[in-house]
This record gives sequence, C-alpha cells and structure tokens, in this order.
Amino acid sequence: MTIEVLVLLAGAGLIIDTSTARVVVAYVIIVAVVALVAAPATLNAPLPLAFFLAAFLLKLVAAPIAIWEFVRRNAAARTLRPAVDLPLRLIVVLVLGGAAQLVPRVPGLGMIPHAGMAAYIVLCGLAVLVTHRNLLAQVIGLLVLSSGVTLAGVVCAPQLPEAVELGAAFDVLVVTFIGLALVRALITENPLLDTESLRRLRG
Amino acid sequence: MMTAFVVVAPLVAALLTMLFRPLDMRRIARIILAAAAATMPLTLVGRVDWLSLLFAGIVSAISFLATVFSTGMYSVDWGRGRAMWTRKSVYFVLLGTFWSAMLLVVLATNFGLLWFGIAATTLATAFLVGFSGDASALEAAWKYLVLCSVGIGLALLGIVLLGRVSLELGLDPAHALAWSAIAQHHLARAVPPAALATAIMLIGFATKAGLVPMHAWLPDAHSKAPAPISALLSGVLVSCSLYAIMRTSTVAEALGAGEVFRQLLLGFGVASIIVAGALMLVQRDLKRLLAYSTVEHAGIVALALGFGGKLGLIAALIHVVGHAFAKSAAFFAAGLVQSASGSTALSELNGLWNRGVSGRFLLGALAALGGLPPFALFVSELLVVGAGIAAHQWIALGLGAFGLILAFAALARAAIAIESGPLVRELPAPFAELPSGLSVGAAAAALACAAAIALVPWTGALP
Repeated sequence: MTIEVLVLLAGAGLIIDTSTARVVVAYVIIVAVVALVAAPATLNAPLPLAFFLAAFLLKLVAAPIAIWEFVRRNAAARTLRPAVDLPLRLIVVLVLGGAAQLVPRVPGLGMIPHAGMAAYIVLCGLAVLVTHRNLLAQVIGLLVLSSGVTLAGVVCAPQLPEAVELGAAFDVLVVTFIGLALVRALITENPLLDTESLRRLRG
Repeated sequence: MMTAFVVVAPLVAALLTMLFRPLDMRRIARIILAAAAATMPLTLVGRVDWLSLLFAGIVSAISFLATVFSTGMYSVDWGRGRAMWTRKSVYFVLLGTFWSAMLLVVLATNFGLLWFGIAATTLATAFLVGFSGDASALEAAWKYLVLCSVGIGLALLGIVLLGRVSLELGLDPAHALAWSAIAQHHLARAVPPAALATAIMLIGFATKAGLVPMHAWLPDAHSKAPAPISALLSGVLVSCSLYAIMRTSTVAEALGAGEVFRQLLLGFGVASIIVAGALMLVQRDLKRLLAYSTVEHAGIVALALGFGGKLGLIAALIHVVGHAFAKSAAFFAAGLVQSASGSTALSELNGLWNRGVSGRFLLGALAALGGLPPFALFVSELLVVGAGIAAHQWIALGLGAFGLILAFAALARAAIAIESGPLVRELPAPFAELPSGLSVGAAAAALACAAAIALVPWTGALP
C-alpha cells in the first residue's frame, strides 16, 4: 500500500466515519504520513527542524491526548454528529479524490512531488469542517488543513525561508490551544459540542 | 532593528504598565507609555516605504485611541487595582499584543512575516472577542477562530505557491517572499501557478478582511467584542487585511496575473457591498449594523482596487484611512451609548440626540459612514466612482452604487430612529456622568480625524 492510498483512505475515514476515536486515528495517520514526507526537507537547518519537531509533537501527541481527554469527560462527544447524510459524504470523498487526481495536471504543479496528496489533505480538512457539526471535528479539520498546508510548503518550495515553518508551528499553536480552550469553555453551555447553536448568531 | 523595536513597543508598554501598582498611577502610566509606543513609527520615516508608514500610522493612532478609550471606559469595576495580574491587565496585554501584531503585518517586508503577523492577530483577538465570557461572545470567538484559521491557512498555501513561482524565476530563497524583489519582474504572461497562488492568497486575506462570501465571522465577532476592540477589529484589523491584499495585488501585477486578480476583487467587492447593504436594512442591533457596514466598506476598497489604476489606488487608500477613523468613532460612540443605556438594540435607543454628547458623536459617525460631506468617505467614494468610469467597469459600478444606496438607507433609518423621538428605555444615569472624559475624548478625536482625512487630496501629499 503506497502512502497516497493510505492518505486517501484516512481522508475518506475523516469525512465518512462518525466515531470520534476512529476519526482521531485517521487524523493521526495523515499527520504521521505528512511528518514522514516532510522530515527530510527540514534536516538541513536547525531552526526549521526545531519548528517542525515542535509542530508535529503538538499535532501527533498533544492534540490527540487533549481530544481523548475531552471525549473521556464528555460521553456525548464520542460520536461526531455529521451535518450531512452518508451518501452525500461519500460523494464528497469521491469528488475530493477526483480533484486530487487533477491537481498534477494544473500547469506549473505537475512537477511538484505529492502535490495531489497535499491538495487532498487540504480539501479533506475543509470538508471535515463543512460536513460535521461537532466542535471537536472542527478542531480536527483545522489540524488536518494545517498539515496539508505544511506538506504543500515542504514539497512546493523546500528552500523557502524559515517563516513558513514558523507559520506552520504557529498555526498549530493557535488551533490547538485556543481551539481547545474555547471548546472547554463552550462545554458548560453546550454539552453536546454541537455547532448548531452557533446558528442563532446568524443574520 | 529599529523596525523590531517599533513592533514590540506596544506589547512592552502594556507589560511595563503592570509594574505600576496604585490604580491611578497605572492609568496614567498606561496612557503615557501607549502614547510613546504610538509615536514610535515616526522613527521609521525614510526607513520603510510610504505605504507601510501610512498603515503603521493608522494602526498606532487608532490603537492608542482604543487604549485611552478603554482606560476611561473600564475604570470602575475591574477590581483589584494593586494586583499585577488583574483581569484589566490581561485585557491591556492582549490589546498590546494585538497592536504589535498589526504593526508586524504592515511593517513586514515579505509575505512570510506578514502572514505571521496576521496569524498573531488571531491569537490575541480570539481571546479579546470572548473577553466578556458570555456564551454568545465565546461562540462568536469560536466562529471567528475557525473561519479565520481557514482563511490564514489558505493564505499560507498561496504564499507557499508564490514562493515556488519566485524560486522558478531565479530569486534567491532568502528573498523569495519579498514583494519588492518579486515586483521587479514585469511579466507579460503569468507564470502558470502565479494566478493560482495570488488568487488563493486573496481568498485567504479576504476572509480576514470580511469580504463576502467569507464574511460570516465578522458581524458576530465585531458586535460581541468590547466596544474598543470592535473599533480595532473594524477600523484597523480589516485595514491590515486590505493592506495585505494591496501587497498581493502588486505581486500579481508583476507576475502577469493582474487581470485575474482585479476581476476577483471586483467580484468580491460588488458581492460585499450588495449583500452587506441588504443585510444592514434588517439589523436590529447597533453594533451589528456597524459590523455589516464594515463588510460594505471593505467591499468598496476591494472595488476600488479592482478598478485599478492610480485613481483606484488613491481612492482605496483614502477610503481605508477614512473608514478606519469613522468606524472607530462609531464603535466608541456605540460603547458610550451601551454603557449608559445597557443596550445596543435599536428599538431601545430612541431620543439619543437630547441625551448628551455620545448621541451626537454617534450621529456624526453614522453620517461619516454614510459617505456624507465633510467626511473623508464622501471624497473617497467620489474617487471610486471616478476610477470605475476610467476603467469602463459600468456593471460593477452600477451594482456597487446600488449596494451603497441600500447601505445609506439602512444607516439613515437607524440614525433617525435612535436620535429622534422620545426615550423608549429609561437610561440608568445621565450621559454626562458616564463614562470618563478620556473615552469621550477618544471618540471625538477619531471623528475629527475622519473629517480631516477628507482634506488629504488637496494637500499634495498623495503620490
């Protein structure tokens, strides 16, 4: 099984599955694959390597532990409540897979290794945000999105200044700490972690 | 090195303020140190380009006014004045962080640092939006965090692709994201991913600027935050995001992707003006009305940039500066009204004209936002029309004008409703007693600046 197929299946799991535990496993698989692909490009200089290690420690260790802790304390969070039905989620997965296949054919992107995979991960992150109501799913969606962006940075322009690696690490900090802090604050008002209640702010 | 000092000065000032223990001393120290931080960008004259200097001036001036307003506004019930880490101290440290992050955005010389600054503003403001701790404020903060994180993630993706284009053009990796280096190219046809890269960057930065259809977070965050933070979010943070769009526009033109970029800007601009104008008509809350007005004005700036040319750029710049001060004045006045009446519901704010200076400031600010003379937005909107005529963009111009009429009608209706008539809701205290003169002074200064900017085209200072 190639890493592309592994990521394809994990991305599909993120969107289709409703079990928080299995979605977290799918998320960990994607982040681990991104770490494996991105690691060689960061070994040349100490600063990018430091940010890379910090970012992936947060993504691979801190975030899953924090999510696990939330799930343990809130039985209602064990199931991610999708905003759309299963057939539509399957169609979304098929469309994203097709879009990822088309990315290498875009002029200028064909020579970039893993460009399709990076695009697929970014799109999966966005799709998770759209297809799930659960706030934890939104945190996972943002983390997947930032993983895809990090992978895109490494494969598109491995010689870029450290600002992009710094950005990746910072993105993770923003998403992990503020996101989980706000989820925690919201639990008291909204034990199901359901974003449906946010709709009352619309208009 | 000097630029770094200017950037960190507001945060350092906020931290130093905490060393002053007696409450009165701390308030004085806060204003003096904030004033010192606000004047620091003057040391950069001749060291950074005029666009960065202009935006650094806007950021510093309005952040200083917000600091003064907050000092006056929240002097009553924020508790233990002698403790170092009070809730009030945290508020001002977050405000200082926000201020420093915005300075980083406008003083950066490459897209990596600019992006980092925009991400840092999200860090500080997510806490500030939810600062009251109310469920609705926390929910608004959450929505803000999710949507803006998606936006800045997409912006980073675009920046990465732009870096690829720069490297393919033979730029040194150390300068691959510097707009001054990229802008030296004048390509007749776009390098393949250049249009894609700049379009993705535009979508990312437009999310932070609140342009339709990426605007969903803005009305909630801007209306639920404390009034001075709303002023900074609407007046300055949106301006910083528009600054990022201007820098991206320069790069898109240099890489031969300018036409695509301008068409996208026209689309976002027209959609923002019409959608915001229509939604302003149905708003029942003053701060929410002002928040949608921000979407409308961001749309006007996008439209001006989309029209292109020197006139479009000048119109966009005057509009950004005029709107920054007018919107800050409006949110300051709304904060004064809210502290006096305990409400921002339009149905509960009748008869404000006869209730003191805050109601009159609010009317002035609404007139400024509606584009009436003598305020700067009157001049800038005329210039936008001129830019549209020069560019022969008749459809975009017509649709934009329609949206402007909707927005003006909404502001006029709200102004008449809240300023005239008898009081529906009994105010808890006369305006004269609430709050301190500092807050009123900050609102007056912002409104005066919104009028003074209108004189800029006649000074000969424009490039």
